[in-house]
Amino acid sequence: MGKAATVTPVRDRTWLRRRLHWGWGALVRRQELIVFLLLLLMSAALGLGTETFFTGTNLLNIAIYVSWFAIAAFGVGIAIIVGGIDLSVAAVMALAGLVCASTLQQGLPLPVAILLGLLSGTLAGLLNGALVSKFHLPPFIVTLGTMGVARGITLGLTNGAPVRDLPEAFRLLGQGALVVGPVSLPLPLLWMLLLATLVSLMLHQTVLGRYIYVVGTDERALLVVGVPTGRVKLLAYILSGALAAFGGMIMTAKLGVASPVAASGYELDIIAAAVIGGASLFGGEGTVTGIILGALLMQITRNGLVLLGLPTFWQWLTIGAMILLVILLDFGRRRRV
Amino acid sequence: MEPILRCINLSKSFGSLPVLRHVSFDIVPGEVVGLAGRSGAGKSVLSEILTGVETPSEGDVYVAGRQVIWPFHARAAGIAVIRQQPELAERFDITTNIFLGEELGWSIAGRWLRVPNRRQMDQRAAEVLAQLDTRFNSLREKVANLTSEQRQLVAIARTLVWPAKLVVVDEPTQQLSYAYQQRLLALIRSWQRDGAAVLFSSNNLDHLFAVSDRIVVLREGRSVADLRVDVAGREDVVAALVGMADRQQLTPIIWALDSYYRAREQAEKLGHQQTLLEQSLAAQDSLNRQLIDQLAVQVSALDSANLALQDAQRRLLTEREQERKSLARELHDQVIQDLLSLNYQLEEIEVDAVEREQADDLADVRASIRALVEDVRRICGSLRPLTIDSLGLGAALQSYTRDWSTRTGVAVALELDDRLERLPEAIELSIFRIVQEGLSNVRKHARASEVSIRLRHSSPRTLMVAITDNGLGLPRGFDLAALAREGHYGLLGISERVALLEGRLHVQNQPGGGAIIQVEIPHPRVNVREQSATRILRAK
Repeated sequence: MGKAATVTPVRDRTWLRRRLHWGWGALVRRQELIVFLLLLLMSAALGLGTETFFTGTNLLNIAIYVSWFAIAAFGVGIAIIVGGIDLSVAAVMALAGLVCASTLQQGLPLPVAILLGLLSGTLAGLLNGALVSKFHLPPFIVTLGTMGVARGITLGLTNGAPVRDLPEAFRLLGQGALVVGPVSLPLPLLWMLLLATLVSLMLHQTVLGRYIYVVGTDERALLVVGVPTGRVKLLAYILSGALAAFGGMIMTAKLGVASPVAASGYELDIIAAAVIGGASLFGGEGTVTGIILGALLMQITRNGLVLLGLPTFWQWLTIGAMILLVILLDFGRRRRV
Repeated sequence: MEPILRCINLSKSFGSLPVLRHVSFDIVPGEVVGLAGRSGAGKSVLSEILTGVETPSEGDVYVAGRQVIWPFHARAAGIAVIRQQPELAERFDITTNIFLGEELGWSIAGRWLRVPNRRQMDQRAAEVLAQLDTRFNSLREKVANLTSEQRQLVAIARTLVWPAKLVVVDEPTQQLSYAYQQRLLALIRSWQRDGAAVLFSSNNLDHLFAVSDRIVVLREGRSVADLRVDVAGREDVVAALVGMADRQQLTPIIWALDSYYRAREQAEKLGHQQTLLEQSLAAQDSLNRQLIDQLAVQVSALDSANLALQDAQRRLLTEREQERKSLARELHDQVIQDLLSLNYQLEEIEVDAVEREQADDLADVRASIRALVEDVRRICGSLRPLTIDSLGLGAALQSYTRDWSTRTGVAVALELDDRLERLPEAIELSIFRIVQEGLSNVRKHARASEVSIRLRHSSPRTLMVAITDNGLGLPRGFDLAALAREGHYGLLGISERVALLEGRLHVQNQPGGGAIIQVEIPHPRVNVREQSATRILRAK
């Protein structure tokens, strides 16, 4: 066999190599994978470095803590995918928790209290969305304003004092667990998984989800086919507010206290979790899985720094450095695109 | 008829720059209105206002009686748009883009909680693209990876999955090749037949005149003319475009425009032809390559068959030589010895013999036996020159030629190279056989009186054997291949042996008469130690 025999396999091999290369490239480009590997690495390091990390209580604590954190991050993720941001998320968490707790103390039934809590978050989201989509204001400024307003309302409502003595039924939402045979699944984790599924289905299986991604990068493409992009953005911010409210109520139920200063400073952690998980600050990118991984990474980092007994400023420094690094990565990725 | 589109007093400025000034016109269903204007005349801004992407600074747009303010109003009123630069969702694939805003599938609740049915959309997308004579390798390709023409085709396909009442076509032809431009014009006519209205904005007068019923001309943001195509000519349009009333000055401009478009069209056509030609060339090329590949396969098969054949030939020759060798040994060691001992016995009998007569007879018999021994010796020699094993090629040739010369009466001059050393057995034997065949040829055909045999190194690694005679020479039209058919195998045998040794053979007539056979044989360097070892072995 002369040329035919030698040429063909060579051509085949390059084709295969190209395919493989493509495959690896696509895998490595998936930020989720990198974050996942980082998580494994960090867990292994903490497991070796401390005796307390791989204990059931600690892992359970991390999981519960991550739940409401991640629920809020889903909302922020959606806002980021439409090309915006939601700085008011932590304040809305506190507001919703407080609204729910106060109305419960007033003696209103639990479902009504929860609905009112959700409503407060939805209204905050509506305010954000309306200002961004109707008046084309920069989301950063708008949500910063909403953050101040929400925080102000929580302080005003309570005069700065936390609301305690919440009814058992409400606390159960955050402290209870679903027991199936030998497995006991904490309810916050269950809420998170439920919402993760719903949000993921919405983002990837419905037309709305598709529009949310397209608005983030090619808004005009939607405009010329008659999709009201303003409404898509409005919906995104409303979802963000509602999810933050839900997360806030779970947090309140778990802690058993609604404090007006609860979750203060979390907004940056939550945004960082979404961005670490692959949501691009330029819009059009991000997944629920990524956000959960990002939230886990943030929480494990905080938890690990505490377990290692490092002073608080180290926590701030590490988290800050991580945020900077992730934003740099995001910029780099953007430039390549 | 109620107009489908009504523009009333439209104005638009960006900052202090007016782009559109008090433009008003109507379009009725089933009408194609051309929009002419040089770049910067406000055509694109007008189409953006009509689709609601831009809001007019002044004036109103009504589509089927409803005012258009936002893009989704325009869409709801049935306006589709094909823009100069297609606006696509870059990170999504072809099907998603074609159905963007018109997704097919089942709905959980409302329009936005619809779950798209990919298979249905893919199928429909393929149909629509086939309608445009377009095929993509995969409908899953992201539109960001497409060429600008393909992107424009996706944008055009978008208007086909959805029945529009008014299609705004804004100069899409710049992204399209000639064939697709014609396709688009045909599409505009088909929309018109179906009762839809079209606002077709273009810089190409030929295109405008090909499909439009009316042409609205914009100049510096103003609508300066609204001409019916069946009444007005291109001069009128150009006059309105450039704002000149003087026909004399216009003609050159029209010519220039016309010849420009002609030239461009020709160039497009040529380009198209070239693509076709390249495609057919590529097809031809691949056919040729296949043929060549097949040929190469066959040639290599022939090569290997040939090699196998040569191998078989070599084995045959070796075995024959082996056989001859053992036969010669047998004759020499057995028959000749027996004959000689018979001779001795007879000699003893002769001495003891009483009668004279008997003694004479015995002497005769003994003479016969000696002659017989000589004969058998000669046969042995030609079967297998025994000297070649012990004394080498040179000695064997000397003894053989002397013998041959006395037998045939032809004078033989043997000339050996001084540097002639022992060679591998196969080569020595082959050369010996070649000389043998050559001489027997001379005896049979040449009728020569002198033969000269020369053995010398033509280079350190090549031995040249030349057999020259002064006989008749080769017959006219001598052909080596024809010899076999006529039953002459002598020269053929030489050529086969030479081929097996990877040497070269020349047979030709000499200028002075007679033939010459020249054989060149390459030989390996014989290892000195091995050579001496074989000598010692032989001596034992």
